[in-house]
Amino acid sequence: MTSSHAFRRFAFAYGTAFAVLYVVALKLDLALFTVYPKQSVVLLGTHHSRDVVDPAMSFLAPAMYWYGWTASAALGALVFGLLGAVLPEQWTRRIWPGWLWVAPLAAMSACVYLTMPWFRL
Amino acid sequence: MVATILLIVHGLVAVALLGALTHQTLATWAPGRSGSFFGRFRRVPPASFANAVVILYVIAALLGGIVYLYFRVDIRPSLERAGHWPALGFFDIKEHFISIGAALLPAYWVCWRRPRTEEPYRMRAALTGILAFIVWWGFLTGHVVNNIMGFGS
Repeated sequence: MTSSHAFRRFAFAYGTAFAVLYVVALKLDLALFTVYPKQSVVLLGTHHSRDVVDPAMSFLAPAMYWYGWTASAALGALVFGLLGAVLPEQWTRRIWPGWLWVAPLAAMSACVYLTMPWFRL
Repeated sequence: MVATILLIVHGLVAVALLGALTHQTLATWAPGRSGSFFGRFRRVPPASFANAVVILYVIAALLGGIVYLYFRVDIRPSLERAGHWPALGFFDIKEHFISIGAALLPAYWVCWRRPRTEEPYRMRAALTGILAFIVWWGFLTGHVVNNIMGFGS
């Protein structure tokens, strides 16, 4: 097993897993951390301003989850990527490589679907 | 002021990325043969763009990630008050797409720079097409959101 073969399997597994896990993180609101840019504060986990203050006051502490969703998906995908790199090639060869582009396309469609409420406001 | 400079640099990097990816996508999906302008546009060696695309994508995404902090605090509340919900929806889709595209970069790079003979050509073509779509989406959405209430408003 050469390092370039291992990196190839890592890259394929990482890209595929990230796409799936990002949609899961988005749907279930699983942000590894929440950023409050106005206060320059980063809190571990998903936190909603409306949980601690009146929703009408939430504009005082706008929260950002995109970084956290991305970090959650990246962390999970890293595990799959490393697994893909260390598993024997005869195991990973059975996995259809087309998932590498099918999964992101499906994930992008899912992201559009999950964003649809914005267009109904 | 810092946000404006970062936004302009972000936009310039995005233009370079857009050009590189568009060249590569057209050269991959519809290689040019004639000597016309469009033929020459599509006759570039697509693999030679891979490194530039990866580097430009990472720089554009990092700059976008920094500018996004200013956007969330200074711009988005105004857009919400003005009821620009579809624009915010398109922007949310942009951020999701950018993350998914960034995760594809290692595989994209491997497919172009370390290709295997048994690997189907359509794998490279598909990844390049997806990245091109993402970058075009991001560019157009960012452009619209940037201009929606006028520069400096």
